[in-house]
Formats: sequence, structure tokens, C-alpha cells
Amino acid sequence: MTVTRSLVSIIDDDESVRESLPDLVRQFGFAVEAFASAEAFLSSKYVNQTTCLILDVAMPGMSGPELQRELANRRRTMPIVFITASGDRMIRGRLLAQGAVECLFKPFSETALLDALNAALRR
Amino acid sequence: MTTDPARISLGGSAFGDTRVDVDTSLKSVADEPAQLRRRLNDLVSIMALPALWAGGEPPEIVTTLVDALVGTLPLAFIFARVNDPDGGSPFETVRVAESMEGRAREIRRAIDLSLGNAASNSPLHSRIFIGDVQLALASARLGLQGEIGVLVAGSETTDFPAQTEQLILDVAANQAAIALQQARLLTERTRRANESEREWRLIVDSIPGLVAVLSPTGDVEVVNRPLLEYFGQTLEELRQWGTNGTVHPEDLPHVVEVFTRAIASGTPYEIVQRLRRGDGVYRWIQNSGFPLRDTAGQIVRWCVLLTDIDERKRAEAQLAGEIRLLDMVACGSSLTDVLNALCCFVEDTATNCHCGVYLIDWRGPTFQNAAAPTLPASFNDPIDGLPVRREIGPCARAACLRTQVIAADIESDPLWQASPFRDLALTNGLRSCWSTPIYSLAGQVLGTFAIYQRTPGRPTPLLQDLIAQVTHIASIAIERAQSETALKRSEAFLADGQRLSLTGSFSWRVATDEITWSEQLYRIYQIEIGTPVTLDLIRTRVHPEDVSLLEKMKMIDQARAGDDEFEWQYRLLMPDHSVKYLHAVGHAIRNQDNQLEYIAAVQDVTERRVAEEALARARSELAKVARATSLSALTASIVHEINQPLSGIITNASTCLRMLDAHPPDVDGARETAKRTIRDGNRASEVVTRLRALFSKREFTLEPLDLNEATREVIALSSNELQRNRILLQPELADDLPTITGDRIQLQQVILNLLRNGSDAMGNVHDRPRQLLIKTEREKADRIRLTVRDVGVGLPPQSLTSLFDAFYTTKSGGMGIGLFVSRSIIERHHGRLWAEPNDRGPGATFSFSLPLSADGVPDGLPATGTS
Repeated sequence: MTVTRSLVSIIDDDESVRESLPDLVRQFGFAVEAFASAEAFLSSKYVNQTTCLILDVAMPGMSGPELQRELANRRRTMPIVFITASGDRMIRGRLLAQGAVECLFKPFSETALLDALNAALRR
Repeated sequence: MTTDPARISLGGSAFGDTRVDVDTSLKSVADEPAQLRRRLNDLVSIMALPALWAGGEPPEIVTTLVDALVGTLPLAFIFARVNDPDGGSPFETVRVAESMEGRAREIRRAIDLSLGNAASNSPLHSRIFIGDVQLALASARLGLQGEIGVLVAGSETTDFPAQTEQLILDVAANQAAIALQQARLLTERTRRANESEREWRLIVDSIPGLVAVLSPTGDVEVVNRPLLEYFGQTLEELRQWGTNGTVHPEDLPHVVEVFTRAIASGTPYEIVQRLRRGDGVYRWIQNSGFPLRDTAGQIVRWCVLLTDIDERKRAEAQLAGEIRLLDMVACGSSLTDVLNALCCFVEDTATNCHCGVYLIDWRGPTFQNAAAPTLPASFNDPIDGLPVRREIGPCARAACLRTQVIAADIESDPLWQASPFRDLALTNGLRSCWSTPIYSLAGQVLGTFAIYQRTPGRPTPLLQDLIAQVTHIASIAIERAQSETALKRSEAFLADGQRLSLTGSFSWRVATDEITWSEQLYRIYQIEIGTPVTLDLIRTRVHPEDVSLLEKMKMIDQARAGDDEFEWQYRLLMPDHSVKYLHAVGHAIRNQDNQLEYIAAVQDVTERRVAEEALARARSELAKVARATSLSALTASIVHEINQPLSGIITNASTCLRMLDAHPPDVDGARETAKRTIRDGNRASEVVTRLRALFSKREFTLEPLDLNEATREVIALSSNELQRNRILLQPELADDLPTITGDRIQLQQVILNLLRNGSDAMGNVHDRPRQLLIKTEREKADRIRLTVRDVGVGLPPQSLTSLFDAFYTTKSGGMGIGLFVSRSIIERHHGRLWAEPNDRGPGATFSFSLPLSADGVPDGLPATGTS
């Protein structure tokens, strides 16, 4: 039997995140793909396979919220958990209002991440 | 026969008749008893003679005597000699009987011979011959020793003198001697009286004043010659002074009243009155009278002294009039009033004339009738607006030729035959006109002053003096009026300008506190115009924080040279608690007494200031926002930089734990993630290092520097800001500050930061001057110190330690980074920066001290490393 694990795509320009976070998410039991930029994600084959997106807010080039709008434009909606290193707590409300499942402030705990992913997959 | 008084009387007064009568009676003598009776009667007649002689002169007495004797005794002649008591020739007289008619000369010669040349009191012979007639002589001495004279009688009767005849002769001589003695005494007395009278008159006449002597009842008795000559009246006329017009009619009632009262009460009097002189002119006279009393205190005479004070009086009146006119000028009476008064003054002084003052508008040039109070409109009106051309009339001529023009008789003067002025003057009954130009100080003809008379004539020298005086006064009045008009105009301009520009002005003599304000300044201060300005009054308006400015102005170094320019900004706190902002620009000058005086213009800049403050507020808000924005950007950047590795660390650590907890544990994966954790930790540390590097990006440049100079540059740079914040900066820079080695720019940043901190700390201070002291001093031999002391909010004790923390601030808008950076700069110079609350009073003191040499300071020393 083939167990099709949900694919969680991680997009972050920060290398240490791309190194560390996929391992943790894999430990939760998800399939993971990591991208260094929104553009790289959009151009990959995983756009349509992705069940949930862990998305950095501020990135060079297309930002996280811009990617969110782009996906909406392409009618390719998927639950998004934003992550950010910014200290600006105000950003969370805005992002949630625009449809995000959660917004996590770095550094976040694994529990917070797991709760967010679970919430995302319940959608 | 009884004594007939008629005979005696006749004998005394009409000698011829008596003689005839006596001769007749002699011829009727017959017998002895009858003769005796006759002799007795004769004796009685002789005895009665003194009654006739009373008051008589010696010649009269002697003549009467000899006449009586020649009629009484049977005499051929009778001779009488009366010696002159003063040693002059004696008085001699001789009477001869009819029988000796024509032989008087012979008889005189014979008597002279008989008496001798020397005055003798009895003849040498008892008989003399006159021709062939023998005469018996009898004599009688006048006076005991004959000192008065002698009587010599001769008779054809041989037994002459009979006893009775000698008796009669002796009695007659005796009577005559007594009468002569008396007459002589009387003469002497009269002579003396006359002499003293003469002397007295001489004295009185030679008094150079006018003197009169009055009876105790006030009747004129005697006046001296000067008085007679002065009044040109006789004594009789003068006695009628009360009714004959001698006293000026206007003065008469008063004079009579005072005089009568004085005479009645016997007290001296003094009257100033007008009396008519001989030439018919009334003159002012001072009349002083005082009573002369005898030893019993009774008034025997009044002595009156009249003094002509007319010229003095006239001069006084003229002077008083001129002073009155000048007073009017000085008190700011209108020009018309002054000139009218001037005309009236001349008319009163000169009498019988009319005056006019005409101003000239040289733009025409035309006349302007300025004053002619006693001339009719029919004369005045046509003059107004007349062109000033010399042929127009005397005034025009005087103005054009710049000289006095005398038209002594307008009717006949050929100059005015064709002039309209002639008709105008004559129709109004004016015959003469004397016009004098009125000159300005600069010599310009301002107008003319004209005197008119209804009769032809020329001005007297006295009047010329008066004309000169009044034209001078008129000139002063006109010029003053003109300059006042000009001044008022320029004042009006100034007032309008001040009102329009909301600018007032003031002068302040600091020594005497004499302060003068313009009207606009009163309006700015909202104080009723005209209220006396005092410092206390000003203090009620000046904002409490700015009151010290007044003291500062007073304290300006007295030795300071003049014409210093000043500029002040200060505020008023109005009664409604609104604040006005004033901007004063002025200068201090030294007046003649070398006293300080401020003259300044004060502009109400409240609106501008409010706009500026609004702008400044907006700018400061903007700056705050910008600062906050850049800070948050910095913070965000720092947070971002730190959070990234932290996030990695936590994620890796979480993964690591999960890998170790797995069954079986993924030890390799755990090792890998643990390595990544260490790597992320290092990365976070690198971020911090990078941040520190970021704060000290600039090169640290050491150079020799003068801290005072560096401080002065900072003060200069920040003075605008300090002034805007109304900070009173007191620099106290030590003279003996040695050069140090340091980074000029960085140290100046520290100084600037301390000044700003101090200034900011006083931002809410409103009840005291915002004083900020900046002081440099030598601390020890090898250190110098800079201190900044404010009187602001001060330091809460608990904050002293955290004060220099990187993000500590007591200010709402502050970044707090200032003191942190400042301290790190000072420490890089091996110095020390600290803060302490002020010992006395509010506020805080920030100080740093630096070693003279910052040699060996390593570049990039940790900023917080030494404290």
C-alpha cells in the first residue's frame, strides 16, 4: 500500500531555516520540499502537489504575501503558515485576515509549528 | 484940650498933614501952663508912637520919629542916624522946619562936621551956624551907649533945649531905640526865616525827583521846580489835580480812594497811576506820600514824591506780553491764537493801531490771512489768497524785497496810487501801513507783520523795537507750528506704520528708569495709552520666565561702548493667560551723561511665532517619526538578524531531540542537527559582532584639540536651537585649558548631546529661567573636565545606573542611544562620563573628564568596557 504523505513546501531565503525546518517537519511525518524563493516554488512541479505551505514573509524578490496573492490569482489556493523573523506583531492579524492559517514568529517552538500544520491540514 | 486920637493917628500915618497940623498948633502956644500941657500932650503922642511902629522897618520908624518931633518941638531941624548892625552905611534922615527950607544940605554938612567922621553918639558942639542963623543943638542917644544911633535936633531958640524939650527928645529917642531894637530883632528873625526858606526851596528844587509838600489835610502847598516843569502847570493848577484831568480818568477813582484814606489815617501811601505830563501824554508814575510829624506826633505836612516809571512800566508790560506770547507758543496754543494774541498785544502797547499777520505760501506765492483780530472782514477777506507780488501792497513788497516797508500815507504815497491795496485800505479808514517781514531761522520769509493806523504816520523808535520783538516771536510761533505739523504728519505715518506692522517702539534710560512707549507698544501690551510706564508695570506683563531678561538688560556692562546692536525675543503673559511673542531689535546708546539708554522697536511676532512653533512641532513630530522609523528599522533589522539564527537553533534543537527520541534514535541525524545548532549559535554571535561594528563604523581620528574651541563651535551650531527653546546658555570656559588629544568630531557629538539633553530636560520648565551652564575647567594636573548643568526635571535616583544603558531614556521621543554612545566615545578617550543630580535646586549635571593625552587608545576598544 502506498501511503501518500501530505507535501509541505517550505519557502525561506534563509539557509539555516531551509536546513533545519524540513527535518523537523519530516519528523512530524510530512513530505517536505524547500525552496529559497517564491519564484523557485512557482516554477517547480510541486505547486500543484503541495498540501500546505510554510512561507517566509520577507524575502528578496517576491515576498510571502505576494506569493499568496499570486497563488490566489492562479486559483491555486492552499493553506499557508507564515513564518517571520520580524518583531512586528501587528503583521499576524493582517496575514490571518488575508487567509493565512497562522503566522509564527521566529524563533517558534515545535509545538506551535505542529499546531499550525494540523490546523492547516484540517482546512 | 484933650488928646485927639485923630491927630496922633494922622501924625503916624500921613506926615505932611501932621506937620501942618503940628505947626499950626505950635503957633497957638502962648503961656507956660498951656505949654506944659502941650508938652505933656506931646509926650503922650511920642509915647504912643511905638503902637504905630509895630512890625515897622527902621527907616519907617526913624522917619515917623523925626516927623513927629519936628512937629512937636520948636525945631529948625531934626537929624537921625541909625547905625547898620551889620556894619554897613548908617541910615540917616533930616527934617527941616519951614524957616530953614532949602538948607538941609548945609545942615547935614554941619552935623557931619559936629559929629565927626567917626560914628559918634553925640555932637561936639552945642551951637552951629547955618549961614548967619545960629542954631542951638540938642542930642539924644539911641540905645544906652548910642550904639543904635543918634538924634540931633537944632533950634533957633537960644535956650534950646529947654528941660521939657530935652525930656521929650530923650523919651522919643528911648522909644525909638526900643522900637528899632525890636525891628532889628524882627528883621533878623525874618531874615533868618527867609534864609532857611530859601535854603529849603533850593534843596527841594534841586531834588531830581518830583516833590510836593501837602498840608495835613492834603492840599498842595509847595511843589518843586522839576514838578512844575514836568506837568507844565502852575501851582494853582496843580492844586486842582483831582478835577483837571491830571490823573488818568481810569485811575482817578482808585487814586482818590487811596489818597483820601491815607490822609485820613495818617499812614504813608504808594500809588502807581498814570498822570498827564506837560506834553499831554499820560505817563506811569509812582506816587509815594508820607506824613511829616512834629515832636508832639501831629502831622504838620505831607511829603509827596512822584517818580516817572513809565519806561520801566512799559518795558515790564512789554516783557510780560512777550513772555505771555512765548508761553502760548510753548504750551502749544494754536498758531491762530498766538498770532491773534500777538496782534492784540501790539495794539494795546502802541495804542491807536491795528495789526495783521500774513503768512506766505511760497508755492503760489500767495498770502494767507493768519491773524488780524481788530480789522474788519471787509479788509481781511480780500487779502486772503492775494498773490505775493511787490506791486500788490506794502506787505507783498516787504516780503519780496525782504525789508520793512513804511507806507506813511497810503493816500498820497505814489507807490500805491495804482494798487488795489490803496482803495482797500482807504475804504476801511486806514491811512498808514508799516509792514515788516517775518523771517525763519534759516532766513526764509515766512510772512509779514503789518501795523495800520487811521492817520498818516511813521513808527516811533520805541514801536520799531516792539515790531522787532514781535516779528521774532511770530517767527518762533510760525516755525514751531510748521515743524509741529510736519512732526505730527511724520508721527502719524510712524503710528500708522507701527499699527500696520504691529511694531511698537520704546526708549529706556536704564539709570533713571525713564521709559517712553509708542502708542502701538501700549496696544501690544494691552495697557491704556498714556499710562506712565514703569519697570513694575512691564513686569506685570512680561512672562515670568523672561523677566530675567530685564535684569540682564540693566546689567549690561556699564563700560561698554555705545551703539551696540541688540536683539531680544521675549514673551508677554497677558491677563487672559494668552502668550504674546515679541521680537525687539534695538541698540544701546550712551547719552550726554554717559548713561545707558535703549532705543528699540518691538514687533508682535505672536502669529509668526505660533506658525513657526506649529511648523517646528510638525518638524519635530516628523523627526520623531523618522527617528522612530529608523530605530524600528534598526531594531527590526537587529531582531531579524538575531531571530534567524535563533530560529535555526531552536528548530535544530527540536529536530535533534525528536531524532534522539525516535525508535530507533536517528543518531546521525541528531548529530547533524546538533552541529547545525552550534553553527546557528555562532551565526547569532556573528550578528552581534557585526552590530557592534556597525555602531563604530567611523575611523577614530586623534588630533590635538582645544576643548574650549570645540565647545564654542558646538554652542555656535546649537545657538539657534537653544534660543528657540529659550535656553539661557551660560558658558564658563576656563582660560587656562591645556590642549588635549582626541577625536574632535566625536567629542563635539558628546558635547552636543549633553547640551541637547539639558535643553530637553528643561522643556517643561515654565516657572523659572531655563538656565543651562556649560563649563570647562582643569580638573587635575593631567585632566580636564566639561560640565553641563541644567535646571530641568532632574534624575530619578534609581535611574542613575541604567542611564547609560543603550536603550534607556526618560524622554518620550528620545532614542536613549545618545548617552550610551556618548559614554562609549568618552571611554574611548580613556575618559569618564557621569551624571549626578544638582546639589541645590532642580536639574542634573552631566560631566566628563578626559586625560590630557589620549595616546595609546586602541582603535575599536569596546565601548562599554571600562566602567
